[in-house]
Amino acid sequence: MKEITAIIRRDKLAETKTVLDELGYPSVSIQSVDGRGKQRGAVCDSDLDPELPDKYCTSVRLTPTPSTYALEHTLPKVALFVPKRMLTMVVPDDVVSKIVKSLIKINQTGKTGDGKIFVSPIESALRLRTGEKDGEAIS
Amino acid sequence: MKMIRAFIRPEKEQEVVLALEGAGFPSLTKMPVFGRGKQKGLQVGPVHYDELPKMLIMMVVNDQDINRVVGIINDKARTGFVGDGKIFVSPVEVAYTVRTGEAVL
Repeated sequence: MKEITAIIRRDKLAETKTVLDELGYPSVSIQSVDGRGKQRGAVCDSDLDPELPDKYCTSVRLTPTPSTYALEHTLPKVALFVPKRMLTMVVPDDVVSKIVKSLIKINQTGKTGDGKIFVSPIESALRLRTGEKDGEAIS
Repeated sequence: MKMIRAFIRPEKEQEVVLALEGAGFPSLTKMPVFGRGKQKGLQVGPVHYDELPKMLIMMVVNDQDINRVVGIINDKARTGFVGDGKIFVSPVEVAYTVRTGEAVL
């Protein structure tokens, strides 16, 4: 068993769920999270996510003058975050690559902020209703 | 690669994130959570708080950076009082970047 943790754009969630349904692995936990990556939370094209508030658009910078320099260096530094959706699913070993491939295919826009997918091992699983273990618990 | 999940005080979040950014680890995901620990919450006079708000910081880093990252979080999030939180480290086999589709962190 493997756990797939995918951190994706908010507007791709519905499409991702549909495709997971079609693959036959509809079981997924979804959480709203805030994230940042190599760009440190800077969003250069906010048109990718129309719901994103203006404060996330950090691409427009003031022309540097002595006063703006002073302003930037006296304001306390704030770490920026971008709202994302995190999907967590536990699947059998043999379908991991298939699911990862389709997750990448749906969520790829080619611009920064597409997200990450992590695959990690899971030792055991238990279905509470029936007490089934491991393989049967996630089927 | 390893996944680090750190449960820290919400008011320490900015400090920890900026320290990690300064050390060259800007990428992380955060989410607000509620939890309790050994002390089973908090007793303030007659009021008992069973679950306390914490901030969960999740990040995946290369094996050789584990000690540094854990050290930074530990340094910045510690106050010395109960409720400082916990850090868990778990294995990650592959990390994909969706934009490129490559299996690199």
